[in-house]
Amino acid sequence: MAEPEGPIVLASVTSATLLGVDGQVVTVEVHVSSGLPSYHVVGLPDAAVRESRERVRAAVLSSGFKWPSTRVTVNLAPSGVRKTGAGLDLAVALGVLVTTEVLPDAALDDVAVLGELGLDGGVRPVPGTLALVSALARAGTRTFVVPAENAAEAALVPNVVVHPARALGELRACLKGEQAWPSVPPPPDPRPDEADDDDPLDLAEVRGLAWARRALEAAAAGGHHLLLSGPPGVGKTMLARRLAAVLPDLSPDEALEVTRIHSVAGRVTRALVRVPPYRSPHHTASVAALVGGGTGTPRPGEATMAHRGVLFLDELGEFPPRALDALRQPLEERAVWIARQAISLRFPADFLLVACTNPCPCGLGPPKCGCGDGERARYRRRLSAPLLDRFDLRLAVRPPGPDDERGEPSRVVRARVVAAVGRQRSRLAGTPWRRNAHVPAGALQRFAPLDAAAHDAWRAECEVRQLTGRGGARIRRVAQTLADLDGVATIAPEHIAIASLLREDVP
Amino acid sequence: MTGAPTPAGEPNALGPGEIAAATLACLPDMTPARLRALFEHCGGPIAALELVRSGGTGRAIPPALRRREHGEWSELARLWTARADPTPTARRLARRGTRVWVDGGPDYPILDGVPDRPAVLLAEGAEPGALHAPRVAVVGTRAATPHGMADARELGAALGDAGITVISGLAIGIDGAVHEGTLAANGSAVGVVATGLDIVYPRRHALLTERVRDSGAVLSEQGFGVRPRRGLFPVRNRIIAALADVVVVVEATAGGGARITAQYALDYGRTVLAVPGSRRNAAAAGTNALIADGAHPLLDWGDVLVALGMSPAAGRTSVPAPPRPAPGPDGKVLLAALGGECATPDELSSRTGLSTPRVAVGLIDLERNGWVQRSRGAIWPQ
Repeated sequence: MAEPEGPIVLASVTSATLLGVDGQVVTVEVHVSSGLPSYHVVGLPDAAVRESRERVRAAVLSSGFKWPSTRVTVNLAPSGVRKTGAGLDLAVALGVLVTTEVLPDAALDDVAVLGELGLDGGVRPVPGTLALVSALARAGTRTFVVPAENAAEAALVPNVVVHPARALGELRACLKGEQAWPSVPPPPDPRPDEADDDDPLDLAEVRGLAWARRALEAAAAGGHHLLLSGPPGVGKTMLARRLAAVLPDLSPDEALEVTRIHSVAGRVTRALVRVPPYRSPHHTASVAALVGGGTGTPRPGEATMAHRGVLFLDELGEFPPRALDALRQPLEERAVWIARQAISLRFPADFLLVACTNPCPCGLGPPKCGCGDGERARYRRRLSAPLLDRFDLRLAVRPPGPDDERGEPSRVVRARVVAAVGRQRSRLAGTPWRRNAHVPAGALQRFAPLDAAAHDAWRAECEVRQLTGRGGARIRRVAQTLADLDGVATIAPEHIAIASLLREDVP
Repeated sequence: MTGAPTPAGEPNALGPGEIAAATLACLPDMTPARLRALFEHCGGPIAALELVRSGGTGRAIPPALRRREHGEWSELARLWTARADPTPTARRLARRGTRVWVDGGPDYPILDGVPDRPAVLLAEGAEPGALHAPRVAVVGTRAATPHGMADARELGAALGDAGITVISGLAIGIDGAVHEGTLAANGSAVGVVATGLDIVYPRRHALLTERVRDSGAVLSEQGFGVRPRRGLFPVRNRIIAALADVVVVVEATAGGGARITAQYALDYGRTVLAVPGSRRNAAAAGTNALIADGAHPLLDWGDVLVALGMSPAAGRTSVPAPPRPAPGPDGKVLLAALGGECATPDELSSRTGLSTPRVAVGLIDLERNGWVQRSRGAIWPQ
């Protein structure tokens, strides 16, 4: 047995890769041994990771360091997980610098490294930094080296030390303690002004439509999916767009969750997203664009981008039936599962669905509509019954009357919504549900109790309308939200009446 | 005791002429016009069947079938000759209990003088004799409003109750509601369909079709196996018009099939009554236009009896509608705001100025007591 010739050096650097919208801790091992100069990456790398060879080598050389003229093997552990993107570049480069003894072995102890490299040795931002740092922090890492552009985002994770990296050469000096770390950009304004400027739409501009407004308010407060049906130009879209202005801000946990998802989707984030997202994909959107997936690395779809916010689908009937069918799973489970050969990914998708549709092919609706029963039935069939059933609130919108007055401004409505959300939060504390719409039928007795009068009204309504158990439960949930909005402790018969009238057989 | 006498109502005392007529009607690509041309040229169904079976040529063929617009006779002959065997048809007629009414025969229900009446009618059902009673056709649009549906049901019941045979087309909308009303009053309903009698269309009305068969009859001029086609419905409408003494149109859109029926009825000299409606109701545009063109407005169900030459009070035994509790003060305001037409809760809030909870409670109350009905996102007064 001949002993291997020359030194065998091993370096190990902690980093992470994206798995759906979550981070997965990756240990980058760089092994240098004697042999012909070569470079291999093992451990399920994707194309971008495999190409790191050229980037890392060029970056190391242009930063003035030596590239080992021996055999370099990079192992990415755990080897069963597919590694994606170029975010492991910096970890590999630092590993190489340890093996060539440019850096001491101990410099990278208890430090996690993220970053993509440019050929000049510059460090470039990586998508999903927040998710990656969160995952690493959960695994116990406290100190992070991240691209300078992502430093503010990484610092959103509580209790971590973030060092910004701008270039490989500077980074070496900082790690060896020869130079001070550049400062992290100042923490961003907690409530950026841009969000307010973004949203000049106010409910006060809407005349009349007391019921449609009430439905909007209930949707915002109770998380009830809302379907508006009406002729074109009647103000359905106008109304739905104003929903954003009455939604309460995200809680800190929700904000972190939403920011993480948006960061994974490739948005450079400096501040926590505090305003609930409002997504309105066009009806030409593909199934993958709507619910996520796609070829190669599964990406979050609109349903996930709208997590903890609003998914607005205008012209619901124009969406491809397959796309609408695909929405049924997130509507039910508030998450999307993307199954691939090796893995199954879970994308959170807890959104409020708001949709608009024309009542029939001619769009006029009763009494002016002249569409035949068959035509209407065909039109309706585009929206499957199970999908229509998911809407707790369904109503017809007609043009406001000439004398209708302007309604309350968004600020007033929002205050009621915030109060109602607070009531739900305290009532549902300790349960997996956040809003009335989430409470399963079996738990309604406890979380949407009816007194004798309300129970009579509810039972009578179920009988007159021949509601199924599910239909009855939906009315009850909405009634609870209406009571929360009114700030009263128990559901009154009038809440049942309004809830019932807000769930019509439209379109 | 052998050979018990056949009951009077035994359906399948079919003669060779009737079997021949049915055999011809059931041939593929047979049309009412071709059938009539064959009968008239050959002098009757038996001779016509012989001609088809022999695959005749030259002057034996009806001139109409020699013309190009009826297709090549050689192709028709190839299609028909092998299939024109009366034995399987006779078996099928016997099995289904189908009656065959040939134009000129004793049971043929359409009075002479209708120019394009069907050469043969196939009928199935428990009470084909219902056609001996006075006959009123009630037709209307498939795009009916809840008001139209309610009118059709009431009218069907009132006529059924008065012992009048009510004819309609078993379609979705007004037709279906008329049949429902007649059946609910234990009246005689007759459905004239545009397909073969073995095909149920629309499928949603499978049960209704069964019930119409049990109370009266289902008629068609098409042979077995003919599937629904766009062009068959207007052709069927002429039979409805021809069968009826009086035709009532409950709701019709400006260009719908109900107007075609009414036009046929006027051509045949039948009295046409139309239920007037709001100018704003698209489903009343056709009936209002009929009235403008001279149809009688139907304001009271008794008007139909008058048009039939009967006294409105005669045979009237129907129970008045069950009393409903008087609406409350808000209910009265809401009913007034509806003004007899449909409206959304939004519109009612805006018209009355009542708060949302008051409108909600008021409307639910009205609905529960039968004053209003909810459909397609709107409130409809009853």
